[in-house]
Amino acid sequence: MAATALVIDDEEDYRVIISEVLRGAGFEVLAAQDGAEGLQTLKASRADVVLVDWMMPKMDGEQFCRAMRAVPGLKDIPVIMLTVKQTADEELEALHFGVDDFVVKPFKADELVARVRAVLRRAENRRA
Amino acid sequence: MTIRVRLIVQTVFLQMLSLLLVATGVFAVQRTLGERDVETAETQIRFAVARTATDALIQKDQVQLLSYLNFLKVQYPALAYARTVWRNGDKTAAQSLGTPGASGDRVLERRVVVSDPASAQRSVEVLFGVDQDVLRLTVRESQKRMIKILALVGGLTALIGLLLAIFLSRSLARSLTALGRMAEQISEGRLGVRLEWKSEDEIGALVRVFNNMSARLADLDISKKNFVSSVTHELRSPLGAIESFLPLIREKTAKGDHASVNLAMEYLNRIEANVHRLNRFITDLLDVAKIEQGKMECVIRRVELGPIASEVAQFFEAKAKAQGVAIENRINGEPAVLGDADRLRQILVNLIANGLKFTPSGGRVWIEASQIKEDGLRRLEVVVGDTGRGIDPADLIRLFKPFSQGRNVSDGVAGPKGTGLGLYIVKSIVDQHGGRLDVRSIPGQGTKIAFSLKVAE
Repeated sequence: MAATALVIDDEEDYRVIISEVLRGAGFEVLAAQDGAEGLQTLKASRADVVLVDWMMPKMDGEQFCRAMRAVPGLKDIPVIMLTVKQTADEELEALHFGVDDFVVKPFKADELVARVRAVLRRAENRRA
Repeated sequence: MTIRVRLIVQTVFLQMLSLLLVATGVFAVQRTLGERDVETAETQIRFAVARTATDALIQKDQVQLLSYLNFLKVQYPALAYARTVWRNGDKTAAQSLGTPGASGDRVLERRVVVSDPASAQRSVEVLFGVDQDVLRLTVRESQKRMIKILALVGGLTALIGLLLAIFLSRSLARSLTALGRMAEQISEGRLGVRLEWKSEDEIGALVRVFNNMSARLADLDISKKNFVSSVTHELRSPLGAIESFLPLIREKTAKGDHASVNLAMEYLNRIEANVHRLNRFITDLLDVAKIEQGKMECVIRRVELGPIASEVAQFFEAKAKAQGVAIENRINGEPAVLGDADRLRQILVNLIANGLKFTPSGGRVWIEASQIKEDGLRRLEVVVGDTGRGIDPADLIRLFKPFSQGRNVSDGVAGPKGTGLGLYIVKSIVDQHGGRLDVRSIPGQGTKIAFSLKVAE
């Protein structure tokens, strides 16, 4: 069965791009335009990995992570943060609230897919 | 040397200097007075000697004169010695009391000659030595006392002055240290720090200047951060999207089936939209640069606003329709205004784009105009209205700052967040036209942005 990825980004272009790239790599893709919607989607239909944009209105990537980690059934789903921020300090800060990896926009399609696969593999090892 | 030490040293130095001057004056006066005392004392001795000599001459008693002189010597210690010479015609008789040689160098010899008024033949001459050192002894003693008093007073004054200087320099140094610390904090990037300092003097004024500077720097820093994050986001985001769409289009076109080609077409449209967005942003940035350099120039001519408004309304027609919002131009038959046609178009485009952005499906966006009197002049007031969500009164002051937007600006709004430049540019253009810009908004019901233009006579 193909793995399912949830893409949360307020910018439609990026939702389209990431969905397309991941679909091309054989993933099932769900999309949401903000953290709140993402959380609902996640509760309704399970995903194996979440890609969330950092800077979003209402509930940003960080708040989303904290909210998600607080839900018992969802707290082990790996999260990849999409960001245009790229200082080392901010990455370090993000690791504290439980982000598994980072992808800086703009990204190469191959890189995105490779990182998603790596995160999934690590999550599988953790469970095993 | 710190200011504090310098201040103390200077104060004490000045004090010592004035004390020295006073002391010199006192000494000069003292010396004059002393000289007079010495003269008086010498005159006294002279009188006493003369009186004694006269008495003895009248009594014709040489022994009495000697014993009197001896008595005077006890009474006046300055009287070092005396010699008497009695004359009667050619007869002389000399007697001595003490010897001139035994006394010191400072003994000056004085001479008193007394003649018998009854017989010019008879006279007595007294030569006596007055010891100047002994004479000045009292004067010198009073001088010593004066020095003691001056030293005491000087010491006390110096101590008080020192304490005062320390106190003064401490309050001065404290304010300077505090200001220095504040400047250091600012230079370390803690902008916006304030110094609480209650005084109305120059230091207080300096602190106020520092506080204002700090607040201005904090403001500038915020707008710089807004600028950097806005520019980063507004440039990177569309560029990144374009960069990512291109390989997807290549891939889809390579597949060549109908669905893939349609997708590729969709991606091309998205690229186009992003290019437009970049273009608009860069144009806005250039406008802002012009405004900030004061080089935003408007060519003011007679302009009919109606056609421009209807052109702009048409331009947004498709977008409004897609959004389910009605757009209308109600300007019709209004008098021509004085303005720059391109800049007026830019104002309308910005305001309508804003209106559309915040107006949900089923709403309306419109342009209208009416003649008003402003400061006694005929003006045309142009209003761009919408039935959108309105503006939070707390956000009003942020609206016209560059790179600044109302908070929660993207909540429930489709499309890019925007750059926070539009209204800043609008305001600058209206200012250039000598008009007024006014925001009338009721949260939840809609917003009207009005600006006034001069009517062409």
